[in-house]
Amino acid sequence: MNNIKEMKKNNHTINLFLVAREAIIIFVIALIVAVTFNLLRPTGLPLFGFSSTTITNVQQAKIPKITLPETYDLYRQNKAVFVDARDPFSFEEGHIAGAVNIYPDEIALSAAKLKTMVATDSVVITYCDGPECPLSKETAQGLILQGFPVVKVFVNGWSLWFNAGYPVSKGKK
Amino acid sequence: MKPVNFSSAVAPVIALICRLTLGIVFLYAGIEKIIAPQEFAMAVYNYRLLPDWAVNMLAVILPWLEVFLATGFIAGIYVRGASSLSSLLFLIFAIALTINLVRGLDISCGCFGGSSGNISWSYLIRDTSLLAMSVFTLFCDRGWGYFVVRKSKTIVENERSEN
Repeated sequence: MNNIKEMKKNNHTINLFLVAREAIIIFVIALIVAVTFNLLRPTGLPLFGFSSTTITNVQQAKIPKITLPETYDLYRQNKAVFVDARDPFSFEEGHIAGAVNIYPDEIALSAAKLKTMVATDSVVITYCDGPECPLSKETAQGLILQGFPVVKVFVNGWSLWFNAGYPVSKGKK
Repeated sequence: MKPVNFSSAVAPVIALICRLTLGIVFLYAGIEKIIAPQEFAMAVYNYRLLPDWAVNMLAVILPWLEVFLATGFIAGIYVRGASSLSSLLFLIFAIALTINLVRGLDISCGCFGGSSGNISWSYLIRDTSLLAMSVFTLFCDRGWGYFVVRKSKTIVENERSEN
């Protein structure tokens, strides 16, 4: 009962000094734990050394790759949505049948259109030309950030597909 | 018997609901960001509002700050400090979100880790709702003690009636 009397006596007030003190304590504890945890974990970030290039490379390395037979299987089952990450001129000269041309810089513009083409069980497959070509990975990375759930990179895709004699198209579409 | 500021327990009960909601939201948001720090750093970078040297700093500290805010909200410890800090965070985020929506950037929100949905005006509505909940918690929350006291009062009355 004494507690209730105490509460009745004391009006509820907001003491700015106490609020600030509590906020600072929470912040300092979070700061110490965050920095310590970051130092100890293997995937910790360099505190002042942000590098978008490094992060992008790490993220791109995690994107799953797909082989030619797997790609062709998905194509035959109509489950593949091909994204040609090369420049528009190369795309016009020849691309995998049904592919959409999305250069890495154009992802924000083309994502909405691509979303209409992707069914729930579809796999978005990005490709460019050459084993070291970075465009397919960049486009795949961008599409993942745009919320596409299943995106795979078909490394050296154009050459492998073309040399295998699988269906190709020419022109802008 | 209640604290004199409230004629009924409605405001403290609503504040409790707000506080627990904020706690759950912050806990989930914090853990998702801690799991994938690089993705979150990238999301922070994509907002194009911070200098490079501050990006990782924010990406490291903010998730843990959210976890400790969540702990405070759920446990009822330092609730006023936590709610004032969270109000500040939601306000800053509302400004950052508005700037990028006006700029027309189509970027990941980063709200619950790097692969959250892309920013839109609905996110701003969600953020301001959470801001309102934080402010309400700051002014109206009475902590777990308020409900414990109310319970003991009921027990006392029951004991009296039994006697």
